[in-house]
Amino acid sequence: MAIEIKNINKSFEGKKKNLSVLKDINLKIEDGELVCLLGPSGCGKTTLLRLIAGLDQPTSGEIIANGEVVKKPSGDRAVIFQQYSLFPWLTVLQNVTFGLEMTKKGSKEENIAAAERYLTSVGLIDFKDSYPHELSGGMKQRVAIIRSLLNHSPILLMDEPFSALDMQNRHNLQEQLIGVWKRFENTIVFVTHDVDEAVYLADKIVILDKNPGRINRIVEVDIERPRKRDSKEFIALQESIVDELDMGE
Amino acid sequence: MYKNYRKILISLILPIVIIIFWYLITEGLHLVNPYILPGPIEVCTSAWDLIVSGKLLRNTIDSLFKVFGGLILAAVVAIPLGVLLGWYKTLEDLCSFVISILRPIPPIAWIPFSILWFGIGTVPAIFIIFMGCVFPILVYTIDGVKRTDKVLIESAQTLGASDRNVLTRVVLPSVFPNIVSGLKVGVGIALMCTISAEMIGSSSGLGYMILQATSRFDPGTTVVGMIVIGLIGLILDYVFGLAEKRIFW
Repeated sequence: MAIEIKNINKSFEGKKKNLSVLKDINLKIEDGELVCLLGPSGCGKTTLLRLIAGLDQPTSGEIIANGEVVKKPSGDRAVIFQQYSLFPWLTVLQNVTFGLEMTKKGSKEENIAAAERYLTSVGLIDFKDSYPHELSGGMKQRVAIIRSLLNHSPILLMDEPFSALDMQNRHNLQEQLIGVWKRFENTIVFVTHDVDEAVYLADKIVILDKNPGRINRIVEVDIERPRKRDSKEFIALQESIVDELDMGE
Repeated sequence: MYKNYRKILISLILPIVIIIFWYLITEGLHLVNPYILPGPIEVCTSAWDLIVSGKLLRNTIDSLFKVFGGLILAAVVAIPLGVLLGWYKTLEDLCSFVISILRPIPPIAWIPFSILWFGIGTVPAIFIIFMGCVFPILVYTIDGVKRTDKVLIESAQTLGASDRNVLTRVVLPSVFPNIVSGLKVGVGIALMCTISAEMIGSSSGLGYMILQATSRFDPGTTVVGMIVIGLIGLILDYVFGLAEKRIFW
């Protein structure tokens, strides 16, 4: 099992009373599974992702990832953020090999060769010497994904990585993500508030409620890939989730 | 290109008007006693003498040596210290009171102690310049560290960077623009401190030259010294401005 979330509670200290963000979360994620955390803003889905990453600590409960209790961030659990997170002073190639340098995997030549191979596969090889500010939003997120993939993190944690992109780009990157996930067989936890995105990507959709954030329902998605957005089963599942999802602000 | 010429032409109008007016009230119409304000021709004669005798070059190099000596010393102390204080909150709390009290003391106020501790010459001047530059560079560095984008730090952590790597590979490059701005402010202060220090506790440099000239009733040399100081400031400001512009993050 890749990730096991046990009795997680998370509350933030407020001025008058503590604000409970996540309540009694229990969840198991299998190796190689692509799980979407879906819910309205304020349901704590990003908080849950940050807890899995080790970037924040739970108030109670524990998370076990690859057999170890999560205490701090690690290269085994790469995070792809909603905001652009490339290092602006490094070129695309230097950004992509950053993780390998940190974890001292492979020689410099091997790393560069691997990075160039990955960049080629997503059509960004011509931009390897460009700086992030010269790239479009979609290209930046693709580089960020490559950066995590190259590091061979068995778990990828993605926090609405495509939400800033236009629909065309978003669909394009979703398709590419499925491609690399099939190839590398990572476990992916993908946070989104977009039902369409969740239905397109996920093996399993975890629907969260808010105030406080807890798991409402877990939906197994059996639609065969590549999924067609206009297929009957796709639309039916999407509608059933939209109906029960409390997206009200 | 045309706009550039226009800008240069317009910026030259006022200096020319001032020189003409200056000439008229001094050497032209003899409205002002030359001991109170020397005319432009006298200043040019003084300048020529100073150039030919090598005095001007010697004193300028001497002053610049102090400026950069003090500035570099201040940078060597302030940049690492600023990174540490910005990164470790406890360390900052520990030092904040001392820094807040020392910072508003004008560097000139250190002159008595500088003479007491280091006598007369280059060393006390460098000490005063150091005291003048160290705080702006320190404050700019601390501020830069605190403003380091949290997403970049967290990305590095989830790519496997150790705390030390986060500091050297993420925080340091990210504060670099702040450091350059701090140095730009510092170099201006350094120039001011140099001249003041030379006037009181030194036996060489442009400040010493100015003061000596006044006591020898040679106001032409005084004016030459002042103009050279102004030019040095202009050039240094331009150079650091260029450095600031070259940084794109």
